[in-house]
Amino acid sequence: MATSTVLSNPVVTINAVDLTGNCTGVQPKIKATALTATSFGDTSTKFVAGLYDNEVSFDFYWSEAASSVYATIKALIGTTFNVTWKATPAATSATNVIETLTGCYLEAIDPVYKIGELATISITVKGGVYSAASA
Amino acid sequence: MKYTIIAENVGTPGAEFIPVEGLNLEALLEGGFIKSDKTTQEPAKTVETSQE
Repeated sequence: MATSTVLSNPVVTINAVDLTGNCTGVQPKIKATALTATSFGDTSTKFVAGLYDNEVSFDFYWSEAASSVYATIKALIGTTFNVTWKATPAATSATNVIETLTGCYLEAIDPVYKIGELATISITVKGGVYSAASA
Repeated sequence: MKYTIIAENVGTPGAEFIPVEGLNLEALLEGGFIKSDKTTQEPAKTVETSQE
C-alpha cells in the first residue's frame, strides 16, 4: 500500500512564465547515459554514467492570447532557457521539491487543431542541467 | 539593467524581475512579459536651413 501519494496537479513554468493553467501533463526524463565498462573477466555487463541526456515533455491547451502559451514559446524555438515543475501547488519543501532544467533547448512547436476539440500542443525540451530544490 | 514584471504569470506586476541563470530574457521581453528600464535616447534633431 502506498504510504505517500501525489495528486497529479503540478505547477509548471516555461522560461519563468507560469503556464499551469494551460498545462495538462508533464513528463520529465532525467537520464544518465550508460557507458559500457564491461571487461575481460566479468560475467555480467557493467555500466558507468556518461553524459546526462535530460528531456521534459509538456502538454498544453494551445492559446494565442496575450501572455499565454504561444506568447511564451514562440521566441524560444532554437534557443535555451529554463523550465521548472513541482508536483503540487503547495509550498516547496522536502516532500514537494521544485525541479529545474537549466539551459534546455526547444527544437520545434507543433500545435494540433482538430474539429470539435480544444487545440493542444506538446513540446519537448532537451538537454540542460537538472537540479531539485526543497526550499 | 533592471527589469519590471508586466504579466501576472511571471510575478506581481510592477515588481522588479530578477533574472536567474539560464533564462531567455529576450523572449520574455519580446512576449511582453517584462520590460526593461533601459531608455533609448532619440537622436538629436537637425534643422535644415536654406542657403541664401
